Amino acid sequence: MRGLEDNKSDTASSDRSPTEMPNGTEVAQKPLTLLDRLRLCQSAWALGGPWDRDSIHTALWGQQPGSFLVLLDSTSQPQLLCLSVGGNREHVKDFPIQRSGAVFHLLESHLGFSDLVQLVAYYSLSRDVLPVCLFIPQRVFNLTQETDQDLSHLGPKFWLCLSSNPQQRNVTPPSTGLSMCSIQVTSANGALCVINPLYLHEHGDSWLIEKRSPQSSPSSVSRPFAARRERRLSTTRPWKGAGLRDMRGPSLDHESSTSPAACSVPPRTRPNSSPSTPVVLRRASQSSSSGSLKGRGQNRLSVDGETSSETTPVGSPVPQSPHRVSWIEDGIWLSPPPLTSLLQAPSHELDSLSISSLEEESDSAPSPIHVHSQRFTLVLADKVKNRLSAVGQAIGGLMSPQKRLNYKAQELSERKSGAFAESVKAFVDKTLKGSSCCASGSELLQEVRTALSSLREILLESPEIQLLIDSLGDISDLELDGMLELAIHKVALKPVCACLYASLQDYRDRDGFIERLKQNQHTMEGQKPEELGGAMGVGLPDAMVLEKIQQRWDSMHEAYSPSKKVQILLKVCKTIYHSMNTNSTPGAVYGADDFLPCLTWVVLHSNISTLQLDTDYMMELLDPMLLQGEGGYYLTSLYGSLFHISSFRPRLAARQLSTEAQHSLSQWHRRRTLHCNRSRRTGNRRTIRRPASREVEAESQDGAKLSDCSGEGSAAELPSLSGEETCETSKEILGLLREEDDSWDEAPGEVRWGCDRLSEEGGDPQQSAEAPETLREKPTGSPKKEKERPHSELRSRDVLWTVPEDISAGQLDKNKVTLDPDRWIDGEQKASKLATKCLYSA
Amino acid sequence: MALRELKVCLLGETGVGKSSIVWRFVEDSFDPNINPTIGASFMTKTVQYQNELHKFLIWDTAGQERFRALAPMYYRGSAAAIIVYDITKEESFQTLKNWVKELRQHGPPNIVVAIAGNKCDLGDAREVTEKDAKDFADSIHAIFVETSAKNAININEVFREISQRIPVAEASGAAAGKGFKLRRQPSDTRRSCC
Repeated sequence: MRGLEDNKSDTASSDRSPTEMPNGTEVAQKPLTLLDRLRLCQSAWALGGPWDRDSIHTALWGQQPGSFLVLLDSTSQPQLLCLSVGGNREHVKDFPIQRSGAVFHLLESHLGFSDLVQLVAYYSLSRDVLPVCLFIPQRVFNLTQETDQDLSHLGPKFWLCLSSNPQQRNVTPPSTGLSMCSIQVTSANGALCVINPLYLHEHGDSWLIEKRSPQSSPSSVSRPFAARRERRLSTTRPWKGAGLRDMRGPSLDHESSTSPAACSVPPRTRPNSSPSTPVVLRRASQSSSSGSLKGRGQNRLSVDGETSSETTPVGSPVPQSPHRVSWIEDGIWLSPPPLTSLLQAPSHELDSLSISSLEEESDSAPSPIHVHSQRFTLVLADKVKNRLSAVGQAIGGLMSPQKRLNYKAQELSERKSGAFAESVKAFVDKTLKGSSCCASGSELLQEVRTALSSLREILLESPEIQLLIDSLGDISDLELDGMLELAIHKVALKPVCACLYASLQDYRDRDGFIERLKQNQHTMEGQKPEELGGAMGVGLPDAMVLEKIQQRWDSMHEAYSPSKKVQILLKVCKTIYHSMNTNSTPGAVYGADDFLPCLTWVVLHSNISTLQLDTDYMMELLDPMLLQGEGGYYLTSLYGSLFHISSFRPRLAARQLSTEAQHSLSQWHRRRTLHCNRSRRTGNRRTIRRPASREVEAESQDGAKLSDCSGEGSAAELPSLSGEETCETSKEILGLLREEDDSWDEAPGEVRWGCDRLSEEGGDPQQSAEAPETLREKPTGSPKKEKERPHSELRSRDVLWTVPEDISAGQLDKNKVTLDPDRWIDGEQKASKLATKCLYSA
Repeated sequence: MALRELKVCLLGETGVGKSSIVWRFVEDSFDPNINPTIGASFMTKTVQYQNELHKFLIWDTAGQERFRALAPMYYRGSAAAIIVYDITKEESFQTLKNWVKELRQHGPPNIVVAIAGNKCDLGDAREVTEKDAKDFADSIHAIFVETSAKNAININEVFREISQRIPVAEASGAAAGKGFKLRRQPSDTRRSCC
């Protein structure tokens, strides 16, 4: 918040007298920066002399989390950062401060700072390796220059006796951004890039530019990319970025005489200039560190498309570990978090400090910070917002592809009379209105999943998205699917998430499942992991870790995107593994034998009803493609744990699940297979699938014989069609088909229908490979004939779902081809070939 | 080169060394460039087989009796299952037979089954003879190896054999035929027990 607030006032003042700022001539009138303030009262928090570790610990005892003091050694060099963490067992933690050369850093961190004040200021905003951010007392923000002389004698009493009302801090927001983080870049949605000048000093800025053109061969693509960028720039408001250079240039010249305050003015509010002027963002100067940063003027960050294509560096594409760069949500950056959120939910923690890891997270939850940032966003004048957005656009290359995709999807979803916008609106309206028409919660979620998949297809077909995807360079289909999925979650799932949960809760209340779960939880709660099936000697989460896990569960509950939820689930599981390994024999490998009991134990000590709803939500809504991977595994384990608890019979041998549970499991199993329609980035792959759907559909009209043929074919009967032949034939046939029947383009649902059907009947490659024989023996209707059938029949997914039901109920059970989502890709390839062969033979 | 993801499910009584086998398989050629998984219950490893890359997604299951009913969730959609027993525990071999039965009844129809007699470094305490196990494996057309996760014996071989038996993506030639024969076995059995 701080930056935005400042920004507002900056805008106002620069409108009045734009000449005031550039060279820092008006420094005295500027409010103090946080750095200045910290320096002023450094004697209060950096303690040497009589102070030692024990006395500092005593002083910090009982202080709120985040309170800290720094212990200096005999030569007045910082030695130890003592931090109150508010934990149960260990209230104060020590973090050694090390000095390597001219750089201070925490022992466990690689973020270096040129002096202690900068280190403290940084860690008050971003916790990095600390358990909480440093807490800067309110008083510090009330300091004025005049009080300077009074401060020298202040001790830690001044520092630690703070007003207990953290909200006050927002009334008098601390001043302009920190000069240590010299480049502050915001995009329209608020990711803030903080770059440590020392990093640039060490590594140059080539990685930054490289990042924005991630193509593997920059030379071949940089031209169109740059052109696109230019267009984008010109379609947005003319950006005033060049003023930045005008301003920054002189500041470089006067580097040594310029105060940090003057240089740290954010770049967003500069006056007008032509948008085509290359924009150069440069690190602001720092009087305190200028000595160690000679020659940094060379490190220009060129953000203009043209310039960058000239200067495309050969350097490493991403920052190399161990040096890291922080991308920080403005919610976190702009104001130190309020007290209540010092021990924040993990989704807001700067856990990894990795690029883009945090970009989405401010969406996820209405946490204090989130509410906070929203409030200030609303307060911002449109003008400021537009400028921010223009800056964001201009440095679009700094945005992650995901973010750009999200923006574009958002934009498309808001566009009047756009196909995508209408579909999204229809979906949201329908879900908000008529969510109670389904028989069960899972049916409701299945419908939502189907809708999400269709929306994804529609989004993918938008030319603008195609253009964007092309500009992203070399991205695998898998990655792209994941990104599209996230974008869809944002535009479609976010608005209905709360409503879905309410309905889910409703269903689960009605069927009594939650009730049973809670009863069994009560019964099993006291059991040790050994009684739950675990082995002796495996570590368990202690109270503190359990607390942390609860917070993660909470943030998992708050996230709307099933993919995000699964990410958080993985973090929880990782924490559990960590606990298992502590206090156990070193080198022990813990597999599912140990993990599942442990997870079950954790689940028993959690809010089990919420967890069940979240699991339902994830299970049904997660992109089926992700079910096979790590997320899918642990989601399955969580689901299994809950099922184990719900079906627990204290007296019975735990061997068998209730028939009800068994049934439910197989239902789930079957269902998930049917959603394996996979989005594709290229149209032709989709068209290849089209004939498949018809033929198989036609075959199913003949009485669904496919399952019968599974055991009858033999290898000798298999036609040995080579891949190339298949491909060519399919192209020819496709050409014909498309001419004949354009209506297929209007009914994407049918395409998937057919493929689903195929995957279900011949869920894996082998089955599919056998199928042509049958098809060839029983020639089926031509595409034209097919067309005569009523579409309603084709479209009904209910029909689809009843097929396995019939089979399972009837005699075919033993022959039934088990649904097999995980071979879907293979099945799909086979499917297209299968269809081709059928057509060929017909 | 084509990348295929192959889900492999680990079954077997608790304590027979399921996770040790995977651990050994994955860690032996530890590649820091590949993101490690968060724990040993789910691990991945990519190996080259002919002109394909096979990425094994290895799902471990809890072997305890009480969790047995959850197994279908884990083995559904598996391309292969490795059923592990302990050569020093006759009982674990009987459990293995039950797993085979269950897989036939409820598992994916074409699942490649591999039987691994683990702890073959403990030959002195052997309770299950190699011949008995081999005969059983042959009778169900399963891959059979005796392994030692501790001494890294035959670990890679299990997975190599699985790679071989996984039907090639392109339905052509002898490999498809081979796979086909294997595939037919379970369905025949099933029909007979109707």
